[in-house]
Amino acid sequence: MIRNLISVFNNSIFSSEIKNENELYFEIDTDKVREICSYIHKSKDLPLVSMFASDERDLNGKYAIFYVFAERQQANLLILKTTIDPNRMEIPSISETIPAAASYEREIKDLFGIHPIGHPEPKRLVFHSNWPEGKHPLRKDYKLNERPKIAKEIIDFKRIEGKGVYEIPVGPVHAGIIEPGHFRFSVAGEPIINLEAQLYFVHKGIEKLSEGKSIENCLYISERISGDETFANSLCYCQAIEKIAKVKVPLRAQYTRIVFAELERLISHLGDLGGICLDTAYLFAAFHFRTLRGWAYLVADELCGMRFLRSINKLGGIRKDFVSGKEKSIIKQLRKIRDELDDTAKIIRSNSMFIDRVENTGVLTTRTARDLNAVGPGGRASGINHDVRKDFPYLVYDLLEFKVPYYQYGDVNCRMNVKLEECFESIDLIIKAIELMPAGKISETIPTLEPYSSAFGITESARGENIHFVMVGENNSVFRYKIRTPSFCNWPALCQAVRGNIVPDFPLINKSFNLSYAGNDL
Amino acid sequence: MTYIIYIIVQIMIMLLLAPLINGIIKKIKAFTQKRTGPPILQMYYDLFKLIRKNSVVSEASSWIYKAAPYIVFSTSLTAALLVPVTIKLVPSFNISGDFVIFVSILALGRFFMMAAGLDTGSTFGGMGSSREAMISSLAEPSILVCLFTAGLIAGSTSLDQMMMFMQAKGQGIILMNPAIILLFLALLTIIIMETARIPIDDPSTHLELTMVHEAMILEYSGRHLALMEYGAAIKQLIFITLLVNLLLPHDQFIGAAGLGGILISLLIYFLKVIVITVVIALIEINTVKLRLFSIPNLAALSFILSFLAFLQYFLLGGGYVQLI
Repeated sequence: MIRNLISVFNNSIFSSEIKNENELYFEIDTDKVREICSYIHKSKDLPLVSMFASDERDLNGKYAIFYVFAERQQANLLILKTTIDPNRMEIPSISETIPAAASYEREIKDLFGIHPIGHPEPKRLVFHSNWPEGKHPLRKDYKLNERPKIAKEIIDFKRIEGKGVYEIPVGPVHAGIIEPGHFRFSVAGEPIINLEAQLYFVHKGIEKLSEGKSIENCLYISERISGDETFANSLCYCQAIEKIAKVKVPLRAQYTRIVFAELERLISHLGDLGGICLDTAYLFAAFHFRTLRGWAYLVADELCGMRFLRSINKLGGIRKDFVSGKEKSIIKQLRKIRDELDDTAKIIRSNSMFIDRVENTGVLTTRTARDLNAVGPGGRASGINHDVRKDFPYLVYDLLEFKVPYYQYGDVNCRMNVKLEECFESIDLIIKAIELMPAGKISETIPTLEPYSSAFGITESARGENIHFVMVGENNSVFRYKIRTPSFCNWPALCQAVRGNIVPDFPLINKSFNLSYAGNDL
Repeated sequence: MTYIIYIIVQIMIMLLLAPLINGIIKKIKAFTQKRTGPPILQMYYDLFKLIRKNSVVSEASSWIYKAAPYIVFSTSLTAALLVPVTIKLVPSFNISGDFVIFVSILALGRFFMMAAGLDTGSTFGGMGSSREAMISSLAEPSILVCLFTAGLIAGSTSLDQMMMFMQAKGQGIILMNPAIILLFLALLTIIIMETARIPIDDPSTHLELTMVHEAMILEYSGRHLALMEYGAAIKQLIFITLLVNLLLPHDQFIGAAGLGGILISLLIYFLKVIVITVVIALIEINTVKLRLFSIPNLAALSFILSFLAFLQYFLLGGGYVQLI
């Protein structure tokens, strides 16, 4: 693969190196970005899993852009790095050939001011109309406490015109207690022609905030990216730092992390299943799933005294031996949840009215899912059989046996079934992990890290593939922290999946993906 | 004099009993969800609270928005006068107005509710109105056929005359007549469609995009909201009353006359309403909200049931046929 790439683009690849065992870096010519990316994407069939910029003017006087491709069969990350001269803030857009790149390029344009040339729809992504032109907060010379004046720029939604076509604006404030997001539907009667989601109402500048913080402090930031993915995010961050430090986490800590990671997945999926039932007004099942979720929360509470799983991870391990002494009680409770879940699953699957509602609703085709790099249950329901736990085995997932359910058709029913079966797998995994857990140390100390070294952390959160890039600066501080949550990949997929459905089915489709707003807006 | 007593009793019972139905349904549903649920009298508290509050009225709305709650409420009460809760009290002369008037009065209220939903120009109001228009245009034919068939059997178009006829003939087990069973099922389906209950609409949802009835009254607040909610509750009780008094008559079993007879009759009526309420709650628990475009199927089912009852009348010959 590497040799192939080098032989084809001999003149455009300046250097190549392998970092952290599975990260292949290529420094490439900016003008050849489009050719090389489409070669990797089309000929080698590797998905673009992340793309971000970094302000490295302090190091070499240039901005850097990273294109991250995942070679999932070999568990390799292929990273193309290209540098941008501050006098020429432009980059050839690759969105025409790789649709998944479209939102990354818009994000980079907003946060760094690097313009993607030839982008099909270069409108703002992160900022709304109240943010002035020319302010790009992720540049190093933008002060963290700088508050620009409120501007009145004009941002238009995509207009669909025709007889009987009208727009429905929904949100950002909704009737339920949910996160803010504005949805602009173009509909003809009830069927949806187009949906445009305007998010980033809860943009908190997490990436900017973490720059310059010590790596320990940044762990707390990573725990607060998204409320129900606390553990997956902090694990991802820890993984990256541990890779940079070349520290091997003790086995007991690894097993404990699996317990918490799977518990978080179980809680999240039970919530989603309840949500799907609630949106179809199947109240009995909805409340039953909520009860089960409550029980799972109790397990979390018993393990660590915190239902939202914060402050469990620590760089190099875990804070405390959470599991010891509670094994029997936890396994008993999990078995009880499993039995109840089994019964509930039988009941909902035999309710024909319910199945009628979820079948054929919100179909995300395999083709679209591939193009947009849909991840997690959303992707697995559409025939993309990828799971980070299998593709990039971390912790001790490769020592434990588990199945990754996947379906082909991509409707709400498939997504529901993926989540339902993953619940069972998660419960089994927790029980196995607790049973196999060896005694021993629970953490290692992190030494002083070599400045400007970097690594990727990849975990499978409940919503899917989670990729964090961390580059450390001097004195164990964070130089650049790029967070790519699964929600960022799946929001465009959601907008595609609702097309052709009717308006009252949107909440159901939305719930079947259950994407995070906070985790996307950062 | 009897006329005045009839009107007073009729209105008092409707006003007092209507919110209770919602309370009972909510309580039963809460039990299946392992919740305690709101108190049975919660809707009374809510209405009492709302009625004392001012309404916020959008500047963009016209008189329709302000008039609609009063029209909805008063049409519900007017329609309530045409469906006697007990035959014992019905004045000796006919109540003027037949089932066509009954359906039209309710349609008038519904028209203003839909117009008010459109009037504010908000997204959800318009969506609710268009869905309500679709559902009601599907439900109304089957109500009319249903009542027309009952009218044919009874030989009268006036609701109280129909009820009296059913009583007079219903000495045996009245439900054994196929036409009556069909009408019963058709009317039960209509109740669910008319009162925005679960297979059609979810009264407890917070999802604006899926609402029908709630979407139309989304902009209302304070006493306007109270009137809208009260009107809807009364309409629900009217339909239940129509079902129980027309197809499950009870007054023929009461020998006593005078005040005692009326009280016993009201008590039995009350019990029947509770039974139907429980049935509605059970339907809500066991079904899932239909996809919006599947609602015509349910409406068609209701129409077919009532139409079969209509054919049944001709097949089994005129008049009332007792199978047992």
